[in-house]
Amino acid sequence: MRIAIPLLLIVSLLAPSSARAADRVVAATLDNGLRVLLLEDQRSPIVSFQVWYRVGSRNEHRGSTGIAHFLEHLMFKGTPSHGPKQFARLVEQNGGQDNAFTSQDVTSYYVDIAADKLDLVIDLEADRMQNLLLDPKEITSEREVVIEERRTRTEDDPSGFLGEEVSSIAFKAHPYGAPIIGWMDDIKRVTPEEIRAFYKTYYVPNNAIVVAVGAFRAADALEKIKKRFGRLPRGKVPPPMLAVEPTQNGERRVVVRKQAELPIVYMAWHVPNQKSDDAVALEVLSTILSGGRASRLYRDLVYQRQLALEAGGDNAYFSIDPNLFWFWATPMPGQTPEKLETELSAHMERLKTEPVTDEELARAKNQIEAAFVYQEDSVHQRASLLARFELLGGFALKDSFLAKVRAVTAADLARAARTWFAPEKKSVGVLLPKS
Amino acid sequence: MPTRAELRALRRGRARRALALACVVALTSGGARESAAAAPLAHREVLPNGIVLLVAERPAVPIVAVRVLARAGAVYDPADRAGLANLTGAVLTRGTAKRTGPELDSAIEFVGGGVEAGTGRDTITVSMTAQKKDLALGLDLVSEVVLTPTFPEAEVARKVAEIQAAIKRSEEDPGTVAARALGRLVFEGHPYGRPVEGTRESVARLTRDDVVKFYREHARPDTTVVAVVGAVTVDEARREIMARFGSWSRPADPPAAVAAATAPAAAREETVKRELTQTTIMFGRQAILQTDPDYFPMAVASYVLGGGSASRLYTRVREESGLAYSVYSWVAPWRHGASFAVSAQTRTAEVPKVVAMIREELARMGREPVAERELSLAKQYLVGSFPLRLDTSGKVADFLVAVEDRGLGLDYADRYKDRIGKVTAADVERVAAKYFTPTAFSLVIVGETK
Repeated sequence: MRIAIPLLLIVSLLAPSSARAADRVVAATLDNGLRVLLLEDQRSPIVSFQVWYRVGSRNEHRGSTGIAHFLEHLMFKGTPSHGPKQFARLVEQNGGQDNAFTSQDVTSYYVDIAADKLDLVIDLEADRMQNLLLDPKEITSEREVVIEERRTRTEDDPSGFLGEEVSSIAFKAHPYGAPIIGWMDDIKRVTPEEIRAFYKTYYVPNNAIVVAVGAFRAADALEKIKKRFGRLPRGKVPPPMLAVEPTQNGERRVVVRKQAELPIVYMAWHVPNQKSDDAVALEVLSTILSGGRASRLYRDLVYQRQLALEAGGDNAYFSIDPNLFWFWATPMPGQTPEKLETELSAHMERLKTEPVTDEELARAKNQIEAAFVYQEDSVHQRASLLARFELLGGFALKDSFLAKVRAVTAADLARAARTWFAPEKKSVGVLLPKS
Repeated sequence: MPTRAELRALRRGRARRALALACVVALTSGGARESAAAAPLAHREVLPNGIVLLVAERPAVPIVAVRVLARAGAVYDPADRAGLANLTGAVLTRGTAKRTGPELDSAIEFVGGGVEAGTGRDTITVSMTAQKKDLALGLDLVSEVVLTPTFPEAEVARKVAEIQAAIKRSEEDPGTVAARALGRLVFEGHPYGRPVEGTRESVARLTRDDVVKFYREHARPDTTVVAVVGAVTVDEARREIMARFGSWSRPADPPAAVAAATAPAAAREETVKRELTQTTIMFGRQAILQTDPDYFPMAVASYVLGGGSASRLYTRVREESGLAYSVYSWVAPWRHGASFAVSAQTRTAEVPKVVAMIREELARMGREPVAERELSLAKQYLVGSFPLRLDTSGKVADFLVAVEDRGLGLDYADRYKDRIGKVTAADVERVAAKYFTPTAFSLVIVGETK
């Protein structure tokens, strides 16, 4: 089982004069394909250790939606050497905090803990990458927990409920149309065998990224990771996700009634991801629309005209496949969702015809750049950001991202708006309070 | 509303959620520094006008977090003016002698920073985050907001409408509804029993005059705490704060006094009907202040019962029975009172079972000693996880102003570590026997009812 690992060490090629974090990242790919990113940060005696698997709801099929998220829960249910409940116990006993999340594209696990406990965490994570028990009894009881989670997040939450409806009409071929938590009937049906097969397929070293930021010596940490994770055999290359969302040919709309106090309006357009030249422009545009109280939607709809309690927009820059650009608003009491939809559309049209001001553009760029600086303050956030860019193709993209943001012009924004926000390509969702 | 994270990611949600009842600062289970020999957490000095200045130098990242805490929270709301402190906090950043609200927003957001004011039960806190290069601008804005707010009439009217709408919408969130009802039962007769945001009716009655008078009465240097944390030196922070706040004069009359919360006559139960697939269960009672020596065994007891994913409630209700996604307990200490609460959400048919389990586990805590394994896990977690709670400048600044306002002293972190370390199984049993008696808890249930 034990495999000798001649290590391929790739240190970032960025100029050493650069003050960027990326040039201090130690990056390696083990023989079994595991990608490792390490960054020393000696400010506090802590480390954030994260394992990101390149699998999410995107890799699921009709009839078994929610399986990636279900498996994430089961990752805390033990291996032969660390029995059920032991993972969380060991972490807490050592003063650590752990959690995990599942997204459309990835499943991520983290432990933030005192730096001298790094060995423990490496051992636990490597163990559950390969040896998960997946005991049918545990699956039965955890299924009920996931169902309760769905009730909290979706059935009983107006905004979660509407979001799921809009996603499902926006995509007809791509799995992004299904909820991450899964449809209720799929959660109830999915079998232990399917979960085990999913685990065997996607939880392999060559489908994972290990990121650690904290108070360690990178060379030592790398040796430890190499020694423990290096034992795991490379798996088969997971099957590619082949679905491509066809072009949308007409507006789509869903109206739901639910127990709620105020209506909600969502609008969503298909947009490209970071592979497109327009992606950074859309990111800046999203900031101009909803980054703070000086942003357009807040200032106009919330502040000046008091039509909305909240309004915003959100781009999908980090998405693996092209995803949605969302607009949303909650009308103030007395205002109608129709009115808000009209106003959101008017803002969208204005972006196409009228260039944003120099001040708006400069502010958005400064906000995006400052947000990166603020993230540097937390080892956890530093590690997450490295992983996010690595998923897109390389952690060093983090630095070129900011260069691209700085280069965006007002004309780029108008062009991106005209290209991507055609009225016939939107999906609209309206939630009306049940009277 | 869907933020990027909410739309695209589901967290396991094992961390305790911030409920309206929970404390804004992680003092509930926070508390000890990694090494007793480490440098003090912060520099502390009292400025001539009474402002307490706390400075922590964190030079590595070029940002600065500032907090200005004023003892002007909802606890000072007149009985017929619930929501006044909250409205005051909301309008505080909406206009100063030099700038309108929108001008202020534009100025700080242009440099990628932020200035916010938030109101809690005890305090209004103005928070500012900026890059080091923009510190002077950020401090200018903070000082204008604190010292020369103009509370424009139109802005007061806007915020009244906004707060009323937000209260209306919060009625669709069962956790908020439950916490609000429970607060009323647990702190009956004390200002803590009223919601910080007030009610739609009480907010409707508030006027600009109320706001101006409230702020004049409660914002004063001798009850103000300023924390400056980040890429700044003590000398620089003192100079910059003195230049802006030094001439703020202390009034002659003493600061307003607040009576300590006393336990209500009896525990009560309340059911709020909502058309939901899941029911929210929330138990609560008054607990003890952080200044009480029993606070430390109480924190350990709460952690053993429902603090983490190794806790008794998490194990029994979630892991073994699959009855809930979220189940937890927490101690929420404020300045004039504290609460201890247990919460769970379960499918409606299982409510009686979960209620019974929580009651049984509460009673068991006071009936038999906790196992050595449980005790050591809780203590090691509470002490060992402390550095994680102070890993950013913002978190350090929040911690510093809270410790100062509660009168815990800058050595609180070390003392906490020491005291938690000394808690025995007998201490936990004694405190649980005193505070975990199921009949002493009020209970709120939100959901479908028969």
